[in-house]
Amino acid sequence: MSRPAAISLSGVSKRYGDTLAVDDVSLSVAHGEVFGFLGPNGAGKSTIVKMVLGLTHPTAGEIEVLGQPVGSLAARAQVGYLPETFRFHDWLTASELLHFHARLARVSADVRSQRVRELLELVGLKDRVNDRISTFSKGMMQRVGLAQALVGEPQLVILDEPTSALDPIGRRDVRDRIRELGEQGVTVFLNSHLLSEVEQVCDRVAIIEHGSIVAEGNLDELLSAQEIEIRAGDGAEAALRQSEVRRINGRLRVRVANDAETAHLVSRMVDAGVPVYDVRQVGDSLEDLFVRVAERGDV
Amino acid sequence: MSTHLIAFFTLREALRRRVVLAAALLTLGYLVLYGVGVWFGYRDLQETQGRPPGLTEGVVSLMLVGGLWSLNFIASVLAVFLSVGALSGEVDQGTLHAIAARPVRRSEIVLGKFVGFTLMLAVFIGVSASLMILIVAVITGEVVGGSWAGPVLMLLAAMLLIGLALAGSARLSPLPNGVIVFTLYSTALIGGVIEQIGDVLESAVMFNIGVFSSVIVPTRAMWDMASAQLATGGFAGELSAGPFGASNPPSGWMLLIAFLHLALTLGFALRTFGRRDF
Repeated sequence: MSRPAAISLSGVSKRYGDTLAVDDVSLSVAHGEVFGFLGPNGAGKSTIVKMVLGLTHPTAGEIEVLGQPVGSLAARAQVGYLPETFRFHDWLTASELLHFHARLARVSADVRSQRVRELLELVGLKDRVNDRISTFSKGMMQRVGLAQALVGEPQLVILDEPTSALDPIGRRDVRDRIRELGEQGVTVFLNSHLLSEVEQVCDRVAIIEHGSIVAEGNLDELLSAQEIEIRAGDGAEAALRQSEVRRINGRLRVRVANDAETAHLVSRMVDAGVPVYDVRQVGDSLEDLFVRVAERGDV
Repeated sequence: MSTHLIAFFTLREALRRRVVLAAALLTLGYLVLYGVGVWFGYRDLQETQGRPPGLTEGVVSLMLVGGLWSLNFIASVLAVFLSVGALSGEVDQGTLHAIAARPVRRSEIVLGKFVGFTLMLAVFIGVSASLMILIVAVITGEVVGGSWAGPVLMLLAAMLLIGLALAGSARLSPLPNGVIVFTLYSTALIGGVIEQIGDVLESAVMFNIGVFSSVIVPTRAMWDMASAQLATGGFAGELSAGPFGASNPPSGWMLLIAFLHLALTLGFALRTFGRRDF
């Protein structure tokens, strides 16, 4: 029997008064996957994250986390969460915060101290163990927040903007941690604005806009739907018969879904007697994809 | 169950944030002032010629009840300030998100906070009331207010306010919640005064308005019952009537209403907070 999905949303909607924040979203994150969740501000990302954590209740639809109903204690016992605001009780020391969360996460007393020590070392805070969080910089708070998310040895880690306050070295460290978690078979749900980061660590991504998923899939697949650049003789535009042909520096740019479509367009131009000098694929970045989706709502 | 973890956490937060320290220092200052007042008051009483028997004990008892009335007021304010933003305030700040995402029931968060604040108030009332009784005993040589029932009823009044504030905090932001809780608390206080005037004027309407206010928020009724337990000696009943107590203390039914009130407010807090979105 295959393992249940780490996160499964089926027809999930969330309404706040007259506002539909999340509209009939279905999404599945496989066990052990590093999943990137993207979308512009106000698209409904945080609402979905909070629903997956059981902090917010869906108006319609069903959510399962690690094969358990969302919000159940069994599901939550296996989840680690770094909130976007990474606001913790700042009167605690780093060690006290982790000990408290370890107890809430039901980490047994005999391994608790060692786990806390190791995690604080892992996030580079071993020299600040007994310092109050109120004395920490934003970056340090984010680091201690990451340690807090990992303290219960979770099967699913939900990271809401985990590197927004970190410097480049801190970001690299977090990326390395995420990769390590993925290698250990831990599912990571990464909500981030930093697209290069998502591109570097995620296996799959989903893009949400106006409360709906507008793109979802393997990163390679999503980015393979790219553009081709054509250098051809007169009449090429008419021969292509594409609605969106752009002319850049005398070359034509056309979006294609795959290689077969490229071949089809080339044969169209040849059949029309248009000389084709050069056809090459133009690389698409996740940022291009994101901006296109955010601006036009299509892939 | 994580209720004890949340309760301990709540207690530790108040201690660490120096809320209790600030209250303790102010109360200590108040106790010193109170001791000076009792000393002068008792000296004047001793110099009064032709005192009827029992008057000394009665006046000393009144001085203690008056002092404890102030402590009861401080405890009430402390109870409201501590708990008025305990749930919604933390949700708004985002500090509760990581905790509520743990395998912790929402009910455990609410009950943990209730137990934590109650323990804090129990220590505050227990220590400050004991010190006050000690001050009076040392200065006057009269041991009055020895009944445990008085401070326990004062704690019950504080618990009623914690329950009320938590019920509001499950949904409302700290500021509107604070306004509502203090308005209700004031209503009960004023209701008590109306009840006393009604009693003196033999006005059934005024008396019933007072009783009704005590049913809505039984904090004042708890104090009236506490002061009846604390006031001893000759003239105690007469002297306790006025701002510090009721000439006719509430019946035992009011205790039942208080527990019902607590169950209702806590039940409302549990239900509302259990359903709220973060």
